Amino acid sequence: MKLGTVVGRVTLSRSVPALHGGRFLIVSPFAREQYERGLDAPVSFGKDPSLVVYDSIGGNVKQVIGYVEGREAAQPFAQPTPVDAINAALVDEIFYSPSK
Amino acid sequence: MLLARVEGNVVATRKHPSLNGWRLVICQPIDKDGWAEGSPQVAIDSHGAGMHQEVVISSDGAAARKAVGDDKSPVRWLVIGVVDEHEPGVRV
Repeated sequence: MKLGTVVGRVTLSRSVPALHGGRFLIVSPFAREQYERGLDAPVSFGKDPSLVVYDSIGGNVKQVIGYVEGREAAQPFAQPTPVDAINAALVDEIFYSPSK
Repeated sequence: MLLARVEGNVVATRKHPSLNGWRLVICQPIDKDGWAEGSPQVAIDSHGAGMHQEVVISSDGAAARKAVGDDKSPVRWLVIGVVDEHEPGVRV
């Protein structure tokens, strides 16, 4: 799981049937510095490009979420689904203290 | 599998039900000298890894799903062990 800030949403009027009813978030992945700044810092972009994340737990713009990338992202679905990133947690608090 | 250092943890109330009861630790991948490499990864932890301890994390989703006991879990990274020594007799 990685953390990222939700910076937008996408809607699809036509999609693969397996994805009907899902929500899609545009997420900017956290860089190391953003972990240090925590949740109260204004929305900022890390150096990694943003990605679209499937969401079924209700993430919204400006929230920080934990998303899973890879084959595992399709695991919660009953049928084969073309998903490679899924929102797995809405982050309430981050405790972070880097050592070097 | 990656060598990483535990640098914090995450609290989330709303999450996939399979993650209930699991510690979510922020693991910073590191090189052999302990310097950060890449961006942190959040892993589930059953070993009680402490702050700034070195651990090995694995991206084996099948093993992680077995650990949480839910076939439909999206979990991927888990702490598979806590590092004692990099070479025999030299504790980290």
